[in-house]
Amino acid sequence: MRVLFFAQLKDVTGCEAVELPPPSPSAGDQLWAVLLEKFPGLAAHRPNVRLARNWEYADSATRFADNDEVALIPPVSGG
Amino acid sequence: MQIEIQLTNEPIAEKISPLLSGGMAGAWVEFRGVVRGEENGQAISALEYEAYQEMAGRETRRILETLAEQHPCLAVKVIHRTGIIPVGDTAIYVGVGAPHRAEAIALLAGFMDRLKQDVPIWKRGVRSAEHRLGTNQNTAGNLPSRCSAHSLDEALAEIRARCLPLPAVRASLTEALGRVLRETVCAPEDLPPFDRSTRDGYAVLADDPAETFSVVDTRHAADWKPRQLKPGEAVRVATGSALPGSGLRVVMQENVERTGDRIRIARREKSANISFRGEDVRAGAPLLSAGVKLNAGALALLATAGNAHPLVSPRLRAVHYTTGDELVPPDQMPKPGQIRDSNSILIRSLLQDLQSDVAQGHLPENFELAKSQIGNRSRNAGAIGDADVLLVSGGASVGEKDFTRPLLEWLGFAIVFSQVNLRPGRPLIFGVNGSRVAFGLPGNPLSHFVCFHFAVAAALGGLTGGTGPVFLRGQLAEKLEDQPSPRETLWPARLSWGSSGTARLHPLAWANSGNVACLAAANALVRVPANQGSVDQFAGVDFLPLTAMLEA
Repeated sequence: MRVLFFAQLKDVTGCEAVELPPPSPSAGDQLWAVLLEKFPGLAAHRPNVRLARNWEYADSATRFADNDEVALIPPVSGG
Repeated sequence: MQIEIQLTNEPIAEKISPLLSGGMAGAWVEFRGVVRGEENGQAISALEYEAYQEMAGRETRRILETLAEQHPCLAVKVIHRTGIIPVGDTAIYVGVGAPHRAEAIALLAGFMDRLKQDVPIWKRGVRSAEHRLGTNQNTAGNLPSRCSAHSLDEALAEIRARCLPLPAVRASLTEALGRVLRETVCAPEDLPPFDRSTRDGYAVLADDPAETFSVVDTRHAADWKPRQLKPGEAVRVATGSALPGSGLRVVMQENVERTGDRIRIARREKSANISFRGEDVRAGAPLLSAGVKLNAGALALLATAGNAHPLVSPRLRAVHYTTGDELVPPDQMPKPGQIRDSNSILIRSLLQDLQSDVAQGHLPENFELAKSQIGNRSRNAGAIGDADVLLVSGGASVGEKDFTRPLLEWLGFAIVFSQVNLRPGRPLIFGVNGSRVAFGLPGNPLSHFVCFHFAVAAALGGLTGGTGPVFLRGQLAEKLEDQPSPRETLWPARLSWGSSGTARLHPLAWANSGNVACLAAANALVRVPANQGSVDQFAGVDFLPLTAMLEA
């Protein structure tokens, strides 16, 4: 699964995207656990970051699978 | 509805053709968002926009389609430029066509609001020197998100190191309640200052074996008449009255049969029923140490010792501003999207508990307007310039409108930290300006509550010379159910006392930092280490006792 980072999160992780080993379909919390292990610096941002799966915001029922494009969306500031 | 969405790195044309076909449209409403020369109070030469292209387009379309259900329009054209956009250039163009202008304007306004919440596009200020260097380094250095978060202990250490006691003042006893004593007060004389009876009864020689005595004199509470008693003589005494001499004992009146001026002792007691001179405190012994918070009992002790004007901490002056256009006063009915302001009364009450005077106000969610409002107020007495403590609620995160940090910097505060690795209450800002301190408190009520009790209380403790918050050890009365969090947690709890004197902590339910329901019951905060997850029933925990802390 491909995970994308934007804005200040790129500075935290030092990269724009990362390939994560394909987990079994997992909930957001499990995905976060994997991400935080790899990038502990994300911990401070987590409360303000929304997850997106395949270009749509995820909710608590969303499950993330191998071929998904996942994005970490920090607070936006467009316009 | 016809929808056209473009994300482009190219400048947006001065003239855009309206999407008008079929002759149905009576209005084409256009909006251009233009880059200003200032961002978060910092002069900039450009903004750098970044977009999650695939999702930004879809999310924009989804928002437009949702809004069109409420505001039927014919066509919408959205062009958002990305990359570096110089000051004065258009960053976004929106054109809306509709049969009448009202629908078009409503859809346009709704779309811009939603865009700023949900469309994954981000901007950063670019200062002159960085312009066109294409660097990410420090372009948003004024944003809290770029600073590493402090741990709870680090944050407390920073606050304590920077909040030193303000000069002490002398206050009358009637004004000293709740202040921190700043001198050690010693007993000027023995307490009690003379041997006195603890009973209503009869003073006789301590070793007089007689059974019957003649009552030769009477002592009331205020009498001071020394007299050498002889064997067989008794003096009528009242509780608290000075004894006529030394080497005496008091027989309580219940154990005496009196006939005229004669008494007969019906039963001899072991106790002498005397409070001896200096029994409570010897002259010169310390009564109260510097640093104690003066409660009613301490004030009574000061009065007893004749210290009518103790040296104490000054009464602190606090200024508190709320921010957030969504707030309405508690007595108003919130419209959709609005909430009642609970933080003002929360902060006012907490500050009053800590003997601080507080002036409160509300700031508009616009940096320029906020600055001019503060500028006007600072000319008034008791306003921001005189405040020992400045608190700003909300605006402490990293959203576009969150201007607390630049505001504090504009007011001359040096930011010590802007994030604490804590849940709830991470985006907590702490700044200092000489002996004055400022906090940017996260807007949610629970975050407010937590940040006040550990951070603001620590600052007030330092400024007054008191102890501030102190963690104690207790035991969980029930299992604390939680997912592991990478952040340390201060969990609201209800403290009670176990039969063996153990502090027992009942975790209170809270789901997010906006929860208000648990505030009324919380009188302690349980400290849950990072990555801990659930904590078992009966496990030992560190906790912050809130009421005790207020008395510390």
